[in-house]
Amino acid sequence: MNRHPYLRAYMAGIFVPTLVVLVGVAVFSIARYAYNFPAPIERVMIFPMAVVPNLWGLWNMLFLVSHSKTHLSIGWHGALLPLLLGPLGLLLMHALDFQIPQFLSILPVLGVVALAAYYLVWKYVVSFLNGVLGIA
Amino acid sequence: MSDLNEKEMRELLKRSVDPSEKPELERDLWPQMLQRIDRHPATPVAWFDWALAALLGAACLLFPGIIPALLYHF
Repeated sequence: MNRHPYLRAYMAGIFVPTLVVLVGVAVFSIARYAYNFPAPIERVMIFPMAVVPNLWGLWNMLFLVSHSKTHLSIGWHGALLPLLLGPLGLLLMHALDFQIPQFLSILPVLGVVALAAYYLVWKYVVSFLNGVLGIA
Repeated sequence: MSDLNEKEMRELLKRSVDPSEKPELERDLWPQMLQRIDRHPATPVAWFDWALAALLGAACLLFPGIIPALLYHF
């Protein structure tokens, strides 16, 4: 059961964003192509489709490596991830000249909500998956 | 390459690539997976985490603009 623990951690990590991206891409695509939503979403689709799941997987591998030294709970470890993903997402949006309407006005609320959502998802879902895969 | 060489090459390739003897699994792995999931019951949710989840829901209702941004970062 202890074979390839980092591969297991990666798989447990990418589970949630891989499921969420199905919903997100479906919603965005319907909005864009069925309702002619006037924003070039396809420009930035690479971020939720590729960057986010991979970072989740790598972040869970990092948890496996660092937990014995930091003793940080998995919830707090996960809550730190938006501090990396947020600026990366903003950078990509800026580089590709993509704007979310009224983004700056919702940014403070979004920051708090993202931290809380990540905390809950990592504490309950990723932790459960780590247990099922025998790495926690 | 002549036809003869091509045939020889094909035969060599067929012989060198070992065909898998058991292309299908011997047993269904899904029941084993279900057993493993049952062995790890979900962690009971603490009251403050319920409160946090309720606050998240309220924030999404009050500021619906954060939903696409949240989906973008998930």
